[in-house]
Amino acid sequence: MFLALRELKFSKLRYFLIGFIMILIAWLVFIISGLANGLSSDNASALQNMKADHFVIQPDAENKLNRSQITDEQWKEIQKQTSIHASAPLGLKILSVTKMGTKDKMDITIFATDASGILAPIVVEGNQFNNTTKQEIVVDQSLKQEGIQLGDWIQDPETEQKWKVVGFTEGQTFSHSPVIFMNLKDWESLIHTNPQQKKIYYSAIALQIENNQVANLKNEVKDMDVITKDEALQNIPGYKEEQGSLNMMIAFLFVIASFVQAVFFYVITLQKTNQFGVLKAIGAKTSYLARSLIGQVILLTIVAILLSIGFTYGTQQILPASVPFKIETETFILFSGLLLVVSVLGSLLSLYRIAKVDAVEAIGRAE
Amino acid sequence: MREKLIFEEVSKIYGEGDTEVKALDRVSFHINEGEFVAIVGPSGSGKSTLLSIAGVLLSPSKGRLLLDNKDITTLSSKEMTNLRLEKIGFVFQSSNLVPFLTVRDQLLLVAELAQKRSKVADYKADTLLERLGLSHRRNHYPENLSGGERQRVAIARAWMNDPEIILADEPTASLDSKRGRDVVEMLAEGVKSRGKAAIMVTHDERVLDLCDRVLTIKDGRLLEMNSTQKTNLKASYSNNFIS
Ligand SMILES: Nc1ncnc2c1ncn2[C@@H]1O[C@H](COP(=O)(O)OP(=O)(O)O)[C@@H](O)[C@H]1O
Ligand SMILES: [Mg+2]
Repeated sequence: MFLALRELKFSKLRYFLIGFIMILIAWLVFIISGLANGLSSDNASALQNMKADHFVIQPDAENKLNRSQITDEQWKEIQKQTSIHASAPLGLKILSVTKMGTKDKMDITIFATDASGILAPIVVEGNQFNNTTKQEIVVDQSLKQEGIQLGDWIQDPETEQKWKVVGFTEGQTFSHSPVIFMNLKDWESLIHTNPQQKKIYYSAIALQIENNQVANLKNEVKDMDVITKDEALQNIPGYKEEQGSLNMMIAFLFVIASFVQAVFFYVITLQKTNQFGVLKAIGAKTSYLARSLIGQVILLTIVAILLSIGFTYGTQQILPASVPFKIETETFILFSGLLLVVSVLGSLLSLYRIAKVDAVEAIGRAE
Repeated sequence: MREKLIFEEVSKIYGEGDTEVKALDRVSFHINEGEFVAIVGPSGSGKSTLLSIAGVLLSPSKGRLLLDNKDITTLSSKEMTNLRLEKIGFVFQSSNLVPFLTVRDQLLLVAELAQKRSKVADYKADTLLERLGLSHRRNHYPENLSGGERQRVAIARAWMNDPEIILADEPTASLDSKRGRDVVEMLAEGVKSRGKAAIMVTHDERVLDLCDRVLTIKDGRLLEMNSTQKTNLKASYSNNFIS
């Protein structure tokens, strides 16, 4: 690092400029990843926070929970499976509802489940619903922003069903809409509002099961499909598209970071060809010069990453609360590592150049 | 007298077939301890090639090469690098200093490359700078030095690894005659006081009188001047210089 550090010190402006660009790029990467995380949980926290790892769904449902139907017989069959640690039925419906007495519609998702099963929400305010109560629901507290309070009634204008809010839970959204938890009795009444629907059904069965038991289970249950929680997540309406476009931006930024650094160091290396010739003549090995360059790249990238992480936390402070923005340490570590890798990859071109410089060029050269 | 460097029938051929160029043709000479030898010759005669082979930057095509009584004719490129690091000091034409290192760091770099950074190296660097009258410039960058000062730093750097032989490639090319002469005097003085050897390629006839011997090269063949010729030469150059 003898040469690397002294050169950084000597050519401060030059390295400051490239460092500044790297900071901007890394900063943007972290902001976009914070938004992607934020949107992801805004979209689907109900699934992410669910204490289930797999779902049984209907095979023709394209892995979409909201399209699938599982009959009560199938649910009974699943309950007989010994490989399953725990399971609970889930009735899922996306509806537009109103607060009783008002006309303003709001989109919500109904999660109907066994109030004593693994999908029961954790109540943070008010009371829990149970399997015997009628027309009582626990709702995500984001509905407070819509003016919903404990004791309010929520109505579905289509079916004229109505439920009373008895408790609030948190971190329960699906497809960007707040989740309403109800018991299976109320679910039954809701689906029977459709006169054609004589028999009860569920949308899916949530499971806790070992990964290595999944294949077995698939063989056991007829006309049913077993998918992972992640597959279910990816198929929430709009989820894949939203995350996909943000991830594509991040991917582009990585490519840009790599190229910007590659070009910068390549140009500098070209400028220094003569200098490398002299250094090699007086006994510098290619590996020494290469380490020096990689050292500069790594140092510059690490400093840029650390500063941009600081700036990202600053950004979080400034952003209004309504912007879904969520910093995850793991994502930071992953992306920092990736940035470091692409930066080093970008410098390979310069290393090739350095390796090609012949020490003999130092002799007989007038300039 | 001990021989520092021996060329035995050394030839160097570039390219092959139609494009073959014989840059050196059976060149033989010895350089002894304490000797400072100049190499002169027209452009394209093979001076740079000779210096590159002496400096273990190039391998000869034919012949034998001994440095400090060791055969160095066939070495791997790694061995060549290590040998240069340990036994050879270079003074190049110009701008051969690393622009982002201070004068003192230019010298310490040599110790760094040899993985010998220590108090001893620091002391050696300071002593060399002192001897070459550069102490007051130790924290300056090359861009703030005059041409003569830069070449003096280059000489100090060349001595940093205690080399057996110094190879100088037109060290006075970018200097006026007074400064050029100072620089060559410093080279000569170092060679004598340390009992090492030096070869200098030069076009500058005014400094030849500072050398013990002048080798003339023409079309890759070496013509050594005998002592009478040399005395005459010396006299005429000195006269030129004084007048
Ligand atoms: N790398 C090379 N490839 C082919 N020919 C070369 C190469 N280097 C030098 N030569 C040729 O070898 C001869 C001697 O060159 P050189 O040693 O550079 O002479 P000088 O330094 O005296 O000008 C010249 O004819 C030159 O064209
Ligand atoms: Mg030449």
